[in-house]
Amino acid sequence: MDTAIEVRQLVKTYAGDVRAVRDISFDVHRGEVFGLLGPNGAGKSTTVGMLTTTVAPSSGAARLAGFDVVRSPLEARSVSSVVFQEAVVDRALTGRRHLDIHARLWRVAPSEAGDRIAKLSETLGLADLLDRPVGTYSGGERRRLEIARALVSRPSVLFLDEPTVGLDPRVRAELLDLIAGLRDRLETTILLTTHYLDEAERLCDRLAIMHEGKIVALDTPHALRADLGERILELRVRDQPAAALDRLRDSGLAGRDAFAVGTTITIPLHDHDDTVATAEIERSGIAPAAITTREPTLDDVYLRLTGGQLRDAA
Amino acid sequence: MTTRTLDLGRPLPSLPRNPFGPLATLARRRLHLAVRTPRELLVPMLTPILFALVIAPALKQALHTSSSYEAYVATGTIGLLIPLNTMFAGLSVLVERESGAQRELLAAPVPRPLLVLGNLIVAFAVTALQIAVLIGVARARGIHFDVAGPGLLWFLGGAALFTVGMYGAAESLAARVPSAEEYISRVPAIAIVPWFLAGSLFPITALPTFLTWFARFLPLTHALALARYGLLNDPSGLHNIWRMHSVTEMAALSLLVVGVFAAALTAAGIRLFTRSAVG
Repeated sequence: MDTAIEVRQLVKTYAGDVRAVRDISFDVHRGEVFGLLGPNGAGKSTTVGMLTTTVAPSSGAARLAGFDVVRSPLEARSVSSVVFQEAVVDRALTGRRHLDIHARLWRVAPSEAGDRIAKLSETLGLADLLDRPVGTYSGGERRRLEIARALVSRPSVLFLDEPTVGLDPRVRAELLDLIAGLRDRLETTILLTTHYLDEAERLCDRLAIMHEGKIVALDTPHALRADLGERILELRVRDQPAAALDRLRDSGLAGRDAFAVGTTITIPLHDHDDTVATAEIERSGIAPAAITTREPTLDDVYLRLTGGQLRDAA
Repeated sequence: MTTRTLDLGRPLPSLPRNPFGPLATLARRRLHLAVRTPRELLVPMLTPILFALVIAPALKQALHTSSSYEAYVATGTIGLLIPLNTMFAGLSVLVERESGAQRELLAAPVPRPLLVLGNLIVAFAVTALQIAVLIGVARARGIHFDVAGPGLLWFLGGAALFTVGMYGAAESLAARVPSAEEYISRVPAIAIVPWFLAGSLFPITALPTFLTWFARFLPLTHALALARYGLLNDPSGLHNIWRMHSVTEMAALSLLVVGVFAAALTAAGIRLFTRSAVG
């Protein structure tokens, strides 16, 4: 399988020995949607910055479609496009002007650029907006324009850096539909950063979970969840969650992958039955405030790996 | 910190590199932005035109000088217009970084110095237009210029190089300061204070001796001396700097000074921009 993005032992250390990215390595296959998942400060945007040549790596290497981002930055940029986390537009210019500038800078032949702009604006519902200054666009319209702009050059690699941050739920849902549609239609490799678990689960073929600059897990969403078994028991205690967890481990109900956050203990049940597990808790003398069982989520995966609450951290 | 890179062992295909297409695109984009922001064109002209049309005649009347003083000040105001306009252009670069499309341009497959040069082209063209308007308005107001062919070239060369140098200063400042507020707070020291010392309203020899010497090192003093030589056929500014006999030699030396200023500040502007663009 062709590799679109290769990252090897990539490190970024800022002044003051701030280690933003610590020796990460991964490959993204051609046509794959790959997610970098993690809270703010996990190193996702720094990683994207290094891959898009706006952040200089301290060490390590990365290639986009075979082009080294340090040695051949122009070539690496020529095969990639970015949709940034914040609005990166000239508000005084029209949407059409933005698309045209991108096409010219990425050396799209003028005759082809016109066709691509027409098709993209139709696909992304921008046709009626293109001749208006971008300052008059809504947040969702602007984001669609930025996605259209990134696609004008038909990049081999598309970076979507937190593409739905700051959008209202309806626009966010529309945009997720749009990205899912692109994923099905294009051969472009997409690297998506997000701290929304539902977004990652819906869009990504594989995920890398980043925490404090490191990749702490990398697999398909299904495989990551499968590590926790099919059922999770969530137990809320009134006090001393650590002691309660120790007791449950001693009883054999909780394994090494059980964890406590605040007063909530999460126990992957694996081979245990729900009712047997509940009875075991009563036998161990723990007085629970609440007990629920459910299927594991990516949130549980993240909590197990980092001991932090992803949504809170984000 | 040393950077260690790993060799992943792939051939490196080359990208065709004709910089003129992207440069034209970048300049056109900057021009569209400037045209859609008329204050960028008009505001820098207000103060110099005020000087040329109101303050210079008022000074002439109050001081009972000859009519050539109006022409002297009108030419001197070019030395205010160029720094003000280029500093305004630099401000728009900073605004672009904070809330515009600069990051998209940084992700584009073009050498980053072209981003600076694209902006420079537009700043240069707008400044040239403003100087032409200033001179045209001054002539319409009855101010007389004494332009001879070769002299005009000294003026054009000096003004062009000084504009390039000042734009380099503006890019350097924009790359160094974190906010528009800090940028604006430094503009008077860079664009206005030197103007008072560079022989804009009176010859530099009228300054205290140590300031006369200081003024001789200001690129603006040389640019203004060349402007007066070119537009008024008045080499006194060059004499005040160099104290030599050959006007051509003095003009060439002043042009060299402004040229070195332009080259150094442009190189600094490009270097600081490209360094600040990569974290």
